[in-house]
Amino acid sequence: MEHFFLHTMVGSIILIVLKVLAVLVPLLIGVAYLTWIERKVLAAIMLRKGPNVVGPFGLLQPFADAVKMIFKETIIPAKANRVLFFIAPILGFSLSMLAWAVIPANDGWAVANLNIGILYLLAISSVSIYATLLAGWGSNSKYALLGAMRAAAQMISYELAMGLVIASVLLLVGSANLNDIVLAQRHVWFFLPMFPMFIIFFISCLAETNRPPFDFAVGESELVAGFFAEYSSMAFGLFFLAEYGNMILMSAIISILFLGGWLPPLDYVPFTWIPGPFWLIIKILICLFCFIWVRSAFPRYRYDQLMRLGWKVFLPFTLAWVVLTAGFMMATGIGIYGGAA
Amino acid sequence: MMPIILFYIFAVILLLSAVMVVISRNSVHAALFLVLAFCNASGLFLIAGAEFLAILLIAIYAGAVMILFLFIVMTMQTNLVQLKEGMQHYLPVGFCIAIVLVVELIIVAINWHIDPNVAEAARQPLLQNMSNTKALGSLIYTNYIFLFQMAGLVLLVAMIGAIVLTLRKRPTNRRQVVARQHMREPNQTLEMRSVELNKGVDDLGGYLRPKETYYGIAQEDSFGPKPGDKMDITEKRQEREQSK
Amino acid sequence: MNWTLAIPEIALSISGLIILLWGAIQKKGNAFFPCAILSIAAFVAVGFLTLTVSNGVGYNGLFINDEFSRYMKILIIIAGFLSIILSIDFNGKNDTNCFEYIALIVFSTVGAMVMVSSNDLMTLYMGLELSSLALYILCAIDRKNVFSAESGVKYFVLGSVASGILLYGISMIYGFSGGMGYSTIHQIIASNHALSAGFAVGLVFVLVGLCFKISAVPFHMWTPDVYQGAPTPVTTFLSTAPKFAAFALFLRLMIGPFGHLSPQWQLLIEVIAILSIIIGSVGAIAQTNIKRMMAYSSISHMGFALVGLAAATPDGVMGTLIYLTTYLFMNVGTFAVIAAMSRKGHVVENINDLAGLGKTDPGIATAMAIFMFSMAGVPPLAGFFGKFLVFKAALGADLYSLTIIGLLASAVGAFFYLRIVKIMFFDKAVEALDQRSLSLSFVTFSMGTLTLVFMLFLSPMIQMGQIAAQSLFH
Repeated sequence: MEHFFLHTMVGSIILIVLKVLAVLVPLLIGVAYLTWIERKVLAAIMLRKGPNVVGPFGLLQPFADAVKMIFKETIIPAKANRVLFFIAPILGFSLSMLAWAVIPANDGWAVANLNIGILYLLAISSVSIYATLLAGWGSNSKYALLGAMRAAAQMISYELAMGLVIASVLLLVGSANLNDIVLAQRHVWFFLPMFPMFIIFFISCLAETNRPPFDFAVGESELVAGFFAEYSSMAFGLFFLAEYGNMILMSAIISILFLGGWLPPLDYVPFTWIPGPFWLIIKILICLFCFIWVRSAFPRYRYDQLMRLGWKVFLPFTLAWVVLTAGFMMATGIGIYGGAA
Repeated sequence: MMPIILFYIFAVILLLSAVMVVISRNSVHAALFLVLAFCNASGLFLIAGAEFLAILLIAIYAGAVMILFLFIVMTMQTNLVQLKEGMQHYLPVGFCIAIVLVVELIIVAINWHIDPNVAEAARQPLLQNMSNTKALGSLIYTNYIFLFQMAGLVLLVAMIGAIVLTLRKRPTNRRQVVARQHMREPNQTLEMRSVELNKGVDDLGGYLRPKETYYGIAQEDSFGPKPGDKMDITEKRQEREQSK
Repeated sequence: MNWTLAIPEIALSISGLIILLWGAIQKKGNAFFPCAILSIAAFVAVGFLTLTVSNGVGYNGLFINDEFSRYMKILIIIAGFLSIILSIDFNGKNDTNCFEYIALIVFSTVGAMVMVSSNDLMTLYMGLELSSLALYILCAIDRKNVFSAESGVKYFVLGSVASGILLYGISMIYGFSGGMGYSTIHQIIASNHALSAGFAVGLVFVLVGLCFKISAVPFHMWTPDVYQGAPTPVTTFLSTAPKFAAFALFLRLMIGPFGHLSPQWQLLIEVIAILSIIIGSVGAIAQTNIKRMMAYSSISHMGFALVGLAAATPDGVMGTLIYLTTYLFMNVGTFAVIAAMSRKGHVVENINDLAGLGKTDPGIATAMAIFMFSMAGVPPLAGFFGKFLVFKAALGADLYSLTIIGLLASAVGAFFYLRIVKIMFFDKAVEALDQRSLSLSFVTFSMGTLTLVFMLFLSPMIQMGQIAAQSLFH
């Protein structure tokens, strides 16, 4: 059996497919239920009940939504660029799934244990802007184009800050491998020594996923529905899945970079009974809760304020922090050349 | 076997998309084909074992440079037909130069011979425990530190240029002091008025635009009323009441 | 690693950064003047550093310091220094008095200095990019002026193509020699005399890139438009510092790594030199705009300077160095006069605007006449000695046809230089020009004096030039 999977061509391909399925199937179910969680949490904050009709506690609501989405008619605007119009949602969805290849659920449990895993994530997230941009341009609608422009400018601006935050973490770890990054946090999770970076990273993630209070790309009150104003049916559904998939992905990245990934909070008995993947899921859920909480608690930013925050506050601050981290490590010798902090 | 197949797939798509960049009629399509070309070039880097360069190519060229480029292309009304008007005029000259270049390339290709040591050098693995990224870093920051710093200066100059050529102070700019904005109390900008039934805001003295919200926090040199203008709500209200 | 070799470049870059920082944090008033003073101080200090820094190869073979690079760097620093002085008053007129202007000139000078000191094709490219990128921006810096924008865009597009070709050539040379360091290339050429075709193509492409930089024919098309559109102090800088740097590269590459191939490239340089001299001289005749005329004049000057390289002897290189030195003096002086040309606060650039300058402002007219005679090659002014030395070297290398054509063309060139003198002194005066500012007068008269008395220090100059030229030939 082991021989078949590890040493034959067919076996290794089957193994890869199984690995991919093991990540994707829970992920898609998670995305479906994230929409349910979001509606429930929002409802609770607003003192409502939320979905409670389809199934017990409305648990089957996501499936009802999916079925509705699939059976709706796909409408293509008359002068839309058909190719780009359809490539955009596919690209968005597949990129948000592709990124999961490097996320480790436990020590060494990743579809691909890349040496440059974190850079891979950065690259994927920067390429996923194309989905938004193409959707906006391909729809041939001014609302869509404006939404796409806003989204692209916003994502590029916040990617800089994110990149620098990641650089400061990389400095501490001395490796771009996500597995190594988690293992380096055995003694202390990075959100403690790098608390400001943790906050900045979280806010940048909000901006990067176009979530409130930075949801200018969709900004209902200004742009109807922003870059997917012209989409309907499953094409819209794919954008929807991509957005929630990205939320989960960003939460996973936050957990891995700052909250110790699959590591239990304390290395003692009651905590170590729970296996690693569950710890990761718990941390992801906490982050997701914050995403939803922010949505219900904050009004939308103004666009110039968003740009100011990204370029004039986050960028200089993170840059200074990178220099500070490097200087601290140089001065004290802690963690230089890949030693764990 | 597998790398060879992959190489040809990537290389063929790369070349095709490069051709499409040149010949496509829509400038947005051309830019998108260029992105495709970058992605395939990155695949070639991966095959060559340079994963760091591959990812950087995607993150920087496809993920940042081309997006900004698309930005401009999408907002501009480029009429390629108009742009290509002078084409026929210049075509013969361009054609001659192209022929010269092609002939030169052919001559070069004929003279091509690969140093036997190259294949061996390529086959040699990196040093022990030396990842691609580390190997690059240990060269850039030691042997090539001079060039690295020069590259930094070049980028700095490009940045200065972008700012100096585009940033202009318009007299109508409205800029705010964020600190002052945060220091405000709600009652400085807002006023609660209970409106009686069957009476509009007009009966209460009219709709007052709370100008202080902007002018109170505006930067000194930004657009606004001249000094001496009445800008306080209370003053304005008194004025209105007096006129009644 | 001997990092102190690049101290002048490092010092100048740091002062550039300080200027930027100062300009950015300064809130009250315009930072232009203090920044200009700061940069002038930096140029003087860097000049002394350049004179004192030791010789050698550093930075893992990327960087070289020798007598030749010192000579050229001093020329470049003087060019930067003078263009800053020219801009102090001029830039107030068209609202280009921003501190970025100063910083860009400083960084462009750094790039030019790195080009001079390059000992590796990669250093060459980085220096070239730094110096040209700053220049593209400087050309377009007068945003209200359409011509300035045109000049910036033209220079940028053509310059990018040229550096693309240069890069292509470099990659060819790298591919066919296996090295980018000049010494590696030198060894490889020395060891196998048969020149492979790829190598030749690479060499030609590198030549094309450099010819573009010095605006030698047939890569001169950009020169008139760019010269005309750019603000005059920028044109002054553009016609001196980057050309010296590119010339230094020309000399270093051709004599150093490609020295063994001199029979192959000599003819090429000869043709380029002849074409530049002829087209520069003939093209200038028809011009009415004085900056365009100066553009053609600089094309022909570059042709004359190339004559020394075509000889490919130490004497020839020395002649080129002296030629470039005299070119610096008379060119900057002429552009100072052009910068002084304004009427009622508006810049005027027509040759006819100079009419009657001999009566309205005899001082500046005399200086201009000196520059024009010197450019025409009238003894005993500076320009004569430059021409004399390069042609002597050309005769020494048996390049008779080149010498004859060059001498004939310089007779044609004398026509348009002397025409300006005629317009200034014998035409009826139009309205007088504005009062010239002190800084422009300073540059005009100091350059005029230098041009006039050049023969007094000719022999020490020749000595220095010979030492510098010898260092190239080892």
